[in-house]
Formats: sequence, structure tokens, C-alpha cells
Amino acid sequence: MSAFLKTLFGDPGTVAVVAIIMAAELLLIASNEVTSAAFAAPLLVLAGTAWLAKR
Amino acid sequence: MLDWTIVAPAFLTAAVEWVEAFTIVLAVSLSIGWRAASGAALAALTLLAAMTAITGGVLGLGLDIRWLQLAIGVFLLLFGVRWLAKAVARGAGLKALHDEAQEFANTRAALARGDWMASWLIAFKGVLLEGLEVWLVVVAFGLHDRAWVSSTTGALAALLAVVAAGMAVQAPLRRVPENAIKFAVGAMITAFGTFWTLEAVGGAAAWPWGDWSLLGLAAFYALGGLALIALLRRPSIAGAVR
Repeated sequence: MSAFLKTLFGDPGTVAVVAIIMAAELLLIASNEVTSAAFAAPLLVLAGTAWLAKR
Repeated sequence: MLDWTIVAPAFLTAAVEWVEAFTIVLAVSLSIGWRAASGAALAALTLLAAMTAITGGVLGLGLDIRWLQLAIGVFLLLFGVRWLAKAVARGAGLKALHDEAQEFANTRAALARGDWMASWLIAFKGVLLEGLEVWLVVVAFGLHDRAWVSSTTGALAALLAVVAAGMAVQAPLRRVPENAIKFAVGAMITAFGTFWTLEAVGGAAAWPWGDWSLLGLAAFYALGGLALIALLRRPSIAGAVR
């Protein structure tokens, strides 16, 4: 079961990175900062990738 | 009519997973024979085919596409970020490159300790877990303009190509440059995931250049990933094979 869940969602670090990205997207969209969200999201994804790679 | 912008990423992503699944089946076949090992693989593939058919049917019932886009986008992000980070870590020498030969040896060693049923289950579980990622990709890319035929064709073509290549070389597929494929596919999937999640929560106008933003995102992640490899580079660690 744990292998199944890990295949679907990844480890807790990956889940945390994606949760932060989603929270930032929702916050920016709710603040009507749609254009900022389009530029912030890829930067956040790349920063999360760097953090996951370095662990 | 096939949509090649769906077939290509589905093919590449599926190929990486099928290579890993084939390596496991190959190792198991040396213990319990080709017939039993391929039977286990076939059982797992049948289950995956049923899952794909059921998912396609459910998604075709006219559910709100934005919720589906959000759910699948999140899955693609989870999947893509993981792959991209792994490929960057391996490219930078922070982690050993994935060695199919080592996986082959590990599986054989595990089999030496088990019985026939355990061996069969290893092949079944291996194909099912690797195939589960293929299923996610088929569903995700299939959602794009209902491109089920294109995404399924890409995944099936990859399966045939990997089996044909594996049978031809009769070795644990050491020649397949897995990390390079994983890097490219990770960038593509992450681009799709970013695009779909923001479009789902922000509407179609969220991306300044519409669908063309997808290309920009893929290029950004590919170039950004290469920059990260250069920034994080360390001397090759022990155990790296390429």
C-alpha cells in the first residue's frame, strides 16, 4: 500500500512543494494577481525542484 | 487523427516506465521462466487496461473539466517535479545514476530468497506500479481535447518499442540513457502540470500567451533544469555508471 501511495503522490517533500505552489497560485488568483501568478508559478516550481534535488 | 503533441510526450514518459518494468520481468524470468513471468506482466497490463478504459468512460460523462484539469494537473506536478529533481540531482552528481543492471542484480538476489509465488508477485507488482505511472500519463494527456487515442497510442507504442528493444539486446537495457529521457519528460510533464493547475484556478485567461505558454514553460523548465545541474554540480559520486 505504501508503494502504491508513493507511486501516486511521491514522498512528503514532493507533496509539500506542490502544496506550496498550489497555495501560492490560489492566493494570487484570489488577490486578482492573475498575471503575477503566471510568472510566479514556474519560478516556484523551479525553486522547489532545486530544493528536492539538493536534499 | 493522432495529435503528435500528445503522442510524443506520452511515448517518452511511458518508455521510461516500461524500461523499468521490463527489467524486473527479465530478472524474474530467469527464476521462474518466461512463461510465468510474462503471465504476471500480462495480468498487470490487463488490470491497467481495465483501469484506463473505466477512467476514460467516467471522464467522458461530462464532468466539469476544470476540476478534472486541476486534479490531473496536481498529479502531473507531483510526478513531473519528482522526475525533474531526480534528473537534476543525477546530472549534477548528487545522486548515483539509475543503473538498470544494478536493479536487475538486486531483483535476482531477492528472487533467490523467495519461492515461485513470490517471484510471480514481484513481476506482477513491478509491472503494475510502473504501469500505474503510465496510466496517470495516459489519463492526463487524454484529457487534453479528449485525446484518448493519441495518449493511449503513445503509451502502447512505447511498450512495443521497449519489449522489442529488450528482446533484441537480451540485456537489462543498460544502453537506454534513462536520465536524459527522464529530464526531458520531467520538464514536459511539469510544464503541463503548471499550465493546467493555473488554468483550472485562474481561467483560460491566466496564461498570457494561451496554449503557446506551454512551449515557453517546457523551455523554461528545460533551461532552468540545465542551469540547476551546472549550479549544483559535484564531482561524480561512487556508484555512478554514466
